[in-house]
Amino acid sequence: MSDTTTQSPSEMEELVYDTDGRRVAFTLDEELYPREAILGAAYLFLDRCFVFLERPADQKVQVRLKTKDGASDPDALEVLAGEFANALLDQVVRFRVAESTGQLREYAFARAFFTTPAQSSIDQLLAELDDEELEEDDLEVAVPWEQDGGGQ
Amino acid sequence: MSRITTKSLRLPKRSVRAEHLGYFRFGRIGKHVVLTNDAGEWSQLTPGEFDAFLMGNVEDGHPRFEELRERGFLRADLDLDDMARKIRRKRRYLGHGPHLAVLITTLRCNQSCAYCHASRTDMHRTDTDMSLETARLAVDHAMKTPSPYLCFEYQGGEPTVNFDVLKFCVEYSRERNKQEGKTLDHSVVTNMTYMNQERADWLVANKVLVCTSLDGPESVHNANRPWTGKKAAAYESVVGWMKYFNNKYVEQGLDPELWHVDALMTSTKRSLKAGNQIVDLYVDLGIRNIHIRPLNPFGFATKTWRAIGYSMEEWLGYYERTLDYIIELNKQGVQIMEGTAATFLKKMLTPDDPNFVDIRTPVGSGTGQICYGFDGSIFPSDEGRMVHGMGDSIFKIGDVYNTSFEEAVNHPTVRSIATASYLDTLPMCATCWNAPYCGVRPLHNYMQFGDLFAQRPLTGKCQQHMGIVGLLFKRLANDPDGAVASIFRRWTIDRPRLADET
Repeated sequence: MSDTTTQSPSEMEELVYDTDGRRVAFTLDEELYPREAILGAAYLFLDRCFVFLERPADQKVQVRLKTKDGASDPDALEVLAGEFANALLDQVVRFRVAESTGQLREYAFARAFFTTPAQSSIDQLLAELDDEELEEDDLEVAVPWEQDGGGQ
Repeated sequence: MSRITTKSLRLPKRSVRAEHLGYFRFGRIGKHVVLTNDAGEWSQLTPGEFDAFLMGNVEDGHPRFEELRERGFLRADLDLDDMARKIRRKRRYLGHGPHLAVLITTLRCNQSCAYCHASRTDMHRTDTDMSLETARLAVDHAMKTPSPYLCFEYQGGEPTVNFDVLKFCVEYSRERNKQEGKTLDHSVVTNMTYMNQERADWLVANKVLVCTSLDGPESVHNANRPWTGKKAAAYESVVGWMKYFNNKYVEQGLDPELWHVDALMTSTKRSLKAGNQIVDLYVDLGIRNIHIRPLNPFGFATKTWRAIGYSMEEWLGYYERTLDYIIELNKQGVQIMEGTAATFLKKMLTPDDPNFVDIRTPVGSGTGQICYGFDGSIFPSDEGRMVHGMGDSIFKIGDVYNTSFEEAVNHPTVRSIATASYLDTLPMCATCWNAPYCGVRPLHNYMQFGDLFAQRPLTGKCQQHMGIVGLLFKRLANDPDGAVASIFRRWTIDRPRLADET
């Protein structure tokens, strides 16, 4: 389980799960946990668990894990729940990194295996990435004054 | 009906400022988080350093900044052209085509190993010998590979039982190579039970590399590899002939560091308690490279698994103990390396990939190796013909009489195997920290699960490869004086042994 000792309460989030003594079930919101991350985390448990996926509501995915050895020890199920939660957090990081660096990877592979790179130049690529970052800048604090039309 | 209770976990909120990061994969190994990328670069961070890295707090002045920047894990100064060069070098094998041609000169064999993967036949079964005409067509076929390097590997059965065909293939391919101009190697995988002085001297004189099977001390070897009719003599024979060959190489003025009999060992349940003794035996015989190999799910091993098999967890425990013993011997100045670890270390510590056909992406079946059965059947790999030997011809991709080289290597089966072993497309593998170093084995998956892909966490090879590489990372992380890193680097050094001048 994640080391939580150095985290202040404001840096923590709560993840709820259900257990009936034989399995654990998480109902996850896709807005918080991308579907790819949920499926990726569930996949990692295929050796130890039977994995059941359901969609109880729009944008929700329920993951139920039942141990293959039929363990019903509450402590073991709690550990299982914690391990799944940690795997889920790691998968979210992987998803975010892949999303953010997809173009960089494509460029590097295109450059590696084709004589003419798919992208025209590295400068253009980095400019595109800068544009993407600006799109997430709701207050547009990073937009230069000149481009913002300030003073006019 | 059980009562449902609701519980909650408190988890750390993890901030990711991905715009500060290069592409990387990561995994938690021991007390560290290992980062890897497509160029094969890696770094081991503490959990605290990893969190700082994700949050974009590893900046100029941070103790890990330079390392992470140089290895391409940070967006700062990211040199994508350099990354592309490194990726191209790592995957150089992609454009080469098969460089390993396995020729099955016969299925006859005078040993009846408990785990025989090759579905051997008894010595009277001359109908399972390769004919000279089939051998000629197989050599012609194999030499059409675009690879500038080609190794003919003679296997069986016991390949020396059909020695005339083996000799013919060596001599004929060398003759043909006067036009082709490739670099050729020849290697025979022999159990030595059919060796005699005339054959041995011919192999030495013709610089055919010799690789044998030695499973360990006498009690282990003879139990694993009984010689039909001479049960107690297998060990004595193989050790005697190894010494004979090694003395001959010295007599010929060849460098014994480069010229010696190589040996492979296969681990059965009996081996698991004898790891150190097996290593000691190899050291005593002057062998520098020992492959601690698990059983494969092919041939007779599928029938005898209950008696000789073990779980992957048990095997990994034995591997770890034996690897640590080998490292300890190295610290004392003994030169011996573990072969599978060396393969992974070449991927981890050098800018190249050793192009080991079984551990690469895609796997080498049909794209890095090709196999010719005794009757001229063509398979993408030695394992394909093993499955064929078990009565399932799903991996047969043609024969030397009717199938061109282009048809064979472009066969839908070859494409399917490549697709099933391309790590970037496989669930779990695509994001696995071990992806730059790993390779999956679709034919193993087929044998164990009935499909080429299987589910990663269930496959023995996934557990084996992650277990071994994880172990190597742990040993590198716990190496205050750099002794282990120095030993591991030595294991990555290859000296070319043979360029076929004839």
